[in-house]
Amino acid sequence: MFELEIQIQSWSDHLRARGNFTDADISELEDHLRDEIEDLIAAGLAPDESFLISVKRLGNVDAVSHEFAKVNTENLWKHLFIDPVDSIAKKESRRDIFLVVIFALLAGTLIKIPGLFGLGFDDLGADHFYLRNMSLFILPFIAAFFLIKRKANRKTWSIIMANFIIAALIINIYPSFSPYNTEILSSLHLPLLLWLIVGAAYIGRKWQSSQGRMNFIRFTGEMLVYGVLVSAGVMVCGMFTMAIFKAIQVDAGKFLGEYYVVYGACAAVFITAYLVEAKKSVVENFAPILAKIFSPLFLVIMVSFLVVMIITGKSPFMEREFLIAFDLMLALVLGLVLYVISSRNDQQPPNLFDYLNLALILTALLIDGVALSAILFRLSAFGITPNKVAALGENLILLGNLGGLAWLYIAYFKKKLDFIKLEKWQTGYLNVYFIWTAIVAFIFPILFGFY
Amino acid sequence: MNVSKDLIAASATPLILAILKENDSYGYAIIKRVKEMSENQLIWTEGMLYPVLHRLEEQQLIESYWNKSEAGRQRKYYRIKDTGLNELELQKQQWEVVHTALTRTWNQ
Repeated sequence: MFELEIQIQSWSDHLRARGNFTDADISELEDHLRDEIEDLIAAGLAPDESFLISVKRLGNVDAVSHEFAKVNTENLWKHLFIDPVDSIAKKESRRDIFLVVIFALLAGTLIKIPGLFGLGFDDLGADHFYLRNMSLFILPFIAAFFLIKRKANRKTWSIIMANFIIAALIINIYPSFSPYNTEILSSLHLPLLLWLIVGAAYIGRKWQSSQGRMNFIRFTGEMLVYGVLVSAGVMVCGMFTMAIFKAIQVDAGKFLGEYYVVYGACAAVFITAYLVEAKKSVVENFAPILAKIFSPLFLVIMVSFLVVMIITGKSPFMEREFLIAFDLMLALVLGLVLYVISSRNDQQPPNLFDYLNLALILTALLIDGVALSAILFRLSAFGITPNKVAALGENLILLGNLGGLAWLYIAYFKKKLDFIKLEKWQTGYLNVYFIWTAIVAFIFPILFGFY
Repeated sequence: MNVSKDLIAASATPLILAILKENDSYGYAIIKRVKEMSENQLIWTEGMLYPVLHRLEEQQLIESYWNKSEAGRQRKYYRIKDTGLNELELQKQQWEVVHTALTRTWNQ
């Protein structure tokens, strides 16, 4: 609760303490401050905003308020005066960059270590090993980065790290037999599961709070966008190196393949995480803008697909590849919808993009409904495989997510609930993803006998 | 339009005196009045106004007194003195000279 009277009092007390003012001066300035505040409140601003603006406007009276602001660091208007690049922020930023470098080196080296024991990239049987463990080489360090940044206590550290260790043990102890279906499924789902654990480290103590989770969803989207940009830069750099060394008849390919790719990829991941974290909330986020550009386009594509499907009367096939294609479609729609949602202010009334979102969801649901019924109908004839069950499960979960969002969107448009409910439901649904990926990664192999 | 700092500083004294000649006033109202009279072209800052007011008081051109505002708060009002009225006349003539000269050169 903002106490205007107390704030004004502490402001004039400070002027008094400065000693350069007579009591009359102070009363005069205080009266001025109050006039200003009253006018701003009358113009529709909140008391705290009015106070901030008024203090800022008065700030250049002999630069008094500036002095005043520097001393009273507890108060919220300090942000207006204190140079954002103060020594603490500078120190922290320098420490973060240091962490990025160290972690990139550590992760890269960790990836190289198995090579010393006959498990290099080119060695026999190594591909499965790397596929299984790829996320474990990098994600724990990202989690550590955020744990350090959030000044997590020892308990949080141990819980998060225990998760990684247990996952690493299970995934490497499980046996695997040809055709390795369950192993590949585990390997593909593990990164998603571990990413959610990174999320817990990212959000920190309030990992169950809707707002924290929404921030994490936003962070994930920004990571993807910036990650692509940074990786493209790393790649261009590598190709350039190849080219100039070729000019002097030296083949840099082997070195690049063995070191540059490994360390470059690690560095790209950590730099991206650092960048997204450092610039958050300062600049408008990028992913929501992309989502706004592509969601109308995607809607057009999907509607035309739907129309063509109905006109030609061709139903989607039941092959697993198609099932996965529809999973991807749902995931993409979900991503677009989420980033539009995440950039949105809870208070703002429904706008065009909300309606577009709903249209996008409904079209996706329709297409997927048709595909799914065709797949289910014919799946029964061919028996169950782990891949089919996993693909089907993913489809159902995404369907549930989008269906729920559509339902809540409609209720929101009818003014039956606040937008915040929608966000809460979505952030709560992360639990479902966590449980499902855990089931596929750890329980599927047992269920299907490790084949 | 951004009026240059020098011009604002130079015109501050005659403006304040002229406003106080109309009736007694206080800092916040003076700023608003200047804004209004100049159709939002002249935005004075508090950091500029109060030093000028205090200087004019020191020079005995204006005097101040305390009174209750509408809201019942103590408020410092300023009143123009006879010397201030004379000073205003003087300044008026000076600005008149500048103004006439400028207008003539621009219209030729």
